[in-house]
Order: sequence, then structure tokens, then C-alpha cells
Amino acid sequence: MAQIVNTPSYVKDVAATEGLMSQRRRRMIIAFLFILPALINFTLFRYLPIIASFRTSLYQYSLLGGYGSFIGFEHYTRLIHDPVFWKSLGVTTRFVIYKVPIQIVLSLGLAMLVQRETFGAGVVRSAILTPMVTSIIILSILWAMMYHSQLGLIQSILGIFGIPHLSILSNPNRALIGITIMMIWKDLGFSMIILLAGLKGIPGEYYDAALVDGANKWQAFTQITVPLLKPVLMFVIVTQTVFSFQVFVPVYQMTKGGPLDSTKAIVYYIYQQGFSYQDMGYASALAMVTLAILLVISYFQMRFLRAEA
Amino acid sequence: MATTTNSSQQTGVVRSQGPSQTAKLTQRVIRNLLWAVLYIVISLIFLIPFIWMIFGSVRDESEIFKYLYPFGWHTFFPVHWTLTHYLDVLGLTPAGKLADLHFGLNIFNSFFVSTAVVVSSLVFNTMGAYFFARLPFPHKNLLFVYVIATLLVPLEVTMVPLYIVVRSLHLQDTYWSMIVPWFASPFVIFSLIQFMRDIPYDLDEAALIDGAGYFTILWKVIVPNATAGLVTNALLEFQFIWNLFFWPLIAVNNPRIQVLQVAISGTLSQTQQYWGRTFAGASLASVPVILIFLIFQRYYVAGVATTGIKG
Repeated sequence: MAQIVNTPSYVKDVAATEGLMSQRRRRMIIAFLFILPALINFTLFRYLPIIASFRTSLYQYSLLGGYGSFIGFEHYTRLIHDPVFWKSLGVTTRFVIYKVPIQIVLSLGLAMLVQRETFGAGVVRSAILTPMVTSIIILSILWAMMYHSQLGLIQSILGIFGIPHLSILSNPNRALIGITIMMIWKDLGFSMIILLAGLKGIPGEYYDAALVDGANKWQAFTQITVPLLKPVLMFVIVTQTVFSFQVFVPVYQMTKGGPLDSTKAIVYYIYQQGFSYQDMGYASALAMVTLAILLVISYFQMRFLRAEA
Repeated sequence: MATTTNSSQQTGVVRSQGPSQTAKLTQRVIRNLLWAVLYIVISLIFLIPFIWMIFGSVRDESEIFKYLYPFGWHTFFPVHWTLTHYLDVLGLTPAGKLADLHFGLNIFNSFFVSTAVVVSSLVFNTMGAYFFARLPFPHKNLLFVYVIATLLVPLEVTMVPLYIVVRSLHLQDTYWSMIVPWFASPFVIFSLIQFMRDIPYDLDEAALIDGAGYFTILWKVIVPNATAGLVTNALLEFQFIWNLFFWPLIAVNNPRIQVLQVAISGTLSQTQQYWGRTFAGASLASVPVILIFLIFQRYYVAGVATTGIKG
């Protein structure tokens, strides 16, 4: 970090030769004007929401009536005894545990498959990246139609293999899996790009040397590729875990948290409390707790990263 | 493949190369064929929903379901082509007007909001990156930590809290609410710093000695030398804002200023009756971004790979 923001020495020299304090101070004020807009933005729209949300969580607060009476940590005790909160935490955790490992393994496999600089590999790369640049709401609408138990395209494809109509999003045992498959499909491209950049960073001589030593491809993969890719892999795992934990749009669009709360992820529950039930106070308490959980996850994963680097 | 080997052994020309050579050639052909098949299958897995969507948007409603079973060519490919669904969702037909569809307006809103964010974000993030990369200031590291720590603030979780702030600023239900929170981004600042560090410092030194101010240096020296970074970040930012759903969903109620993504979710898909219209709306919302991506793919990939971020 220090390297990035180092002040070039000549600037100091120029400032010194000018001699006048007022001149230096003027320059400093002008310099500060460059960063001021960004600082205002981050203060107002990134940090203040957290503070405001914490304050709101201590009050009765409805969208229509505004702030009501101060109730201290009552929302937090309610949260501990709220079975839906625990259920949504479980749903979210299961989603992350299903999604992230499969996504990482598949994207590493695909990255190795398409890293060659051939026309065909280029076409496949573009295809894999297409869902990544498409908005998640459009994909959720499309996939809900594809999953449709009578009229869905997936039913038609399953029909080739003689599999009869399969209810997916309306079945409490399958809905979360349906959403997970779609999200792996969408986010694969993202992790693949980063892993491709990582693979490019491994010198080809390493592989040549291993081949000379008589290693086979699998040995080269486990002894060279994986260890050298470890920092990048860790980075992808961290970011994808935090990102996946916040799944909202597919739940909102495809299942509304149902059936039987089987897909009610935590961010959807926050939204529901705040906007469907108009209980901003409780929604804020839920947001604060989720924020804390994510910070703890990031903290531990950052420690991992630092240990790797 | 056995026949190929046999027939080539009978022709004297090939035989002179020896059987092992022929076997190798055959092996290469098979291998390339397997690669091609693998590539086609993978590409289809990622593209089929889009193919279904685009063809579905230009065919009669009944056809979408009629050819679903058995799975075949016409499951995708229209028999009877039509643009009705597009005219409907743009509100250009009586049926579309009756359903209160005005996607032309929503597309304008999406375009207006995305452009406003890209422009303001380029101005303020470029200034911020210039500050960190090249200007002298005491305790700059602390300010940098303040900026970079916002990366730890999870976006979706803080959407409802953000709404509380925007509401107390009385910006809710306006264009401003969709633009103002995004005019600065820690991702873009971080990414632009990387690009600016590669520009030789002699350049601003010379300009400074000539008496140029910081703004002049930024505009005349830094910006022309950082165009690759600016283009990359403009693209990523445009895609990020164009695709945003959760924020406009809660920030804006007025359907006249609502963006396309939310309009589609609200007006079409929830009735689940007009699949053709849904396909048409989804195509309008996604195909332009996909095309931009395909044209500028190189920038996209470089941008995501260097900063490791989404938008």
C-alpha cells in the first residue's frame, strides 16, 4: 500500500524551492480538492449507512411513521429468538457451501481448458463470459422460465433422456439447488478470468523442467500449478464467499424465498422485513448482524491471504 | 478410423511415410475433433439460454410451447417470424399500451442513469486516483486506508441502510438517488492508480516547472496517458450500473423514471403470461451490453483481472 501512494521526491523539491509557506499550503489545499469529492461520497454512502443503520436498529422505525420510541437492543434479542433468521442463515450458508467449491473447481478446469491462444479457445472464453456481463435479474427471469415444470426448456432437454417433468423451483428440496446451479453458471466466468491471469503468471519453464524430470501431467498440476496458484485461488475463494453470502436477486425473482422458506437467504429476509413488513428497525438489526458475520469471515480469510503472501 | 489406416496403407505414397506417421496423423485428427466437440458443448451450455431468449422474442407466442416436445430444431428456431413482442413492450401497439408498457422510456432512463454515473465517476475517480498516485499530501496513507476500507463494506447487505440515508437526504424516488451514491468507487480509484503509476514522473515535473497547476497536469499529461485505464473503467462502470437491480428497486417507485431492469421484473415476468414479451424485454436489456462486451472484451478481461472486481 505504501508503495502505491508514495510521494515522488521531485514534488517535495519543487515545493521546497518555492520557500513560501503560504504557497505550500495553497498547493496542499488544491491537492485535497482532488480527493474531496470521493471522500464525501464514501462518507455519505458507504460509512454513514452503517452508522445510520445501527442507530435505526435501536428504534422502532417504520417507513411511513419514521422514528418511533427508543427500544435499545430489543431488536437484537428478538433476532436471537427468531427461527426465520436462523433458518435464513442456514439457507445462506448452504448456498455458499454448495456454490463456492464447485464453482472454483469448475472454473479452474475451464481456465486450463481454454488458456491456449487458439481461435476455438477464444470463442469458448467469450461464451463462458457472456452470462457474467448479463444482469442477474434478466438471468433469473430466463432461468425461472427454463425451470418451469411444464413449459421450461430444461424439461424439454431432460425429455431427450426420458426424464419426466421435474418440478424444481416449486419443490422445497430442489429450489435452492436450482438457484445454486444458475449462480455457478453465471459466476464461473468471473473466477475463470482471475484464474486465467494467475495461470499466465506461472513461467512455462517450470513445466518444461518437470517434464524433463519425468513428471506426468497430473503431477505437474498438483506440484506446480496448484501451489503457485494458491494466492490467486485464495483471493477468488474469499471474494466469492463474501459475494455469494449476499445472494438476493435470484431469490427475489425466482422463488420469493419459498417454497416453505427453503430459499430465504439472509439479504432477502432483510429486504422483506424492511419493505414488505415496513419494519426498518428490525431490518437494520438484521443488516448489522449480517455485516458483522461478513466482517468476521473477511477477517479470517484476509489472515489466510496474508499468510500466503 | 480403422478404414482410414487401411486405405492409406494401400496407397504407396503414404506407405513410404511409415505406419507410425499415419497413426500419428489419425491421432491428431481425432484429438482435434474431440477438442472441437468439447468446445462446442461447453459453448452451448453457456449460450443456450440466450439463443432460446433471442429466437423466442421473434416468434409467435404459441410456437414457444408448441415445439417444446420433442426437443428439436424448432424448439429454438422460429417457423413464423414476428416483431410484435418488441412493438408491444415498447408500447407501440394498442395491446402494449393497454398493458401500460413503455420500455422505450425505461431504456432511456437506464441509459441516462448509466451515462451520468460513468461521466461523473470518470471525473471524480480520476481526480482521486491522481491525488493518490502523484500529489504530495501529509498522511496520505491514512486517507488511502479510509478509501480502500470501503471495499470491505458488503454492497447488498448495506442496500437497506443506504436507503435510510438517501431517504433522509430526500433523494428517494428521483434520478439523483440512482446516480449520486455511485459517483465515486474504491474499485475504480484503485484500478486507475495502477494505470497512473506507469506514467513517467518526469512529465509532470516538466509541466510543474513550466508553471502548470495540478488540474492542467491532470488534463494535459495524465489523462492522455491513461486512456486504456479510463476506457476499461468506463466499460465496467457502465455495465455495473446498467445491470443494477436491487438499488433502483428500492430507491425508486415512480414507473416513469424507473430503469429497464426493474421495469421488466415488475411488469412482465410476474404475470407469467406473455413469454414472448418477456423474451423481447430481456433481449432489449441484455443484448446491447453483451455486444459491447464482445467488442471490447480485451479491456473487460484486463480490467477484471487487474482489480479482481465485478463492475
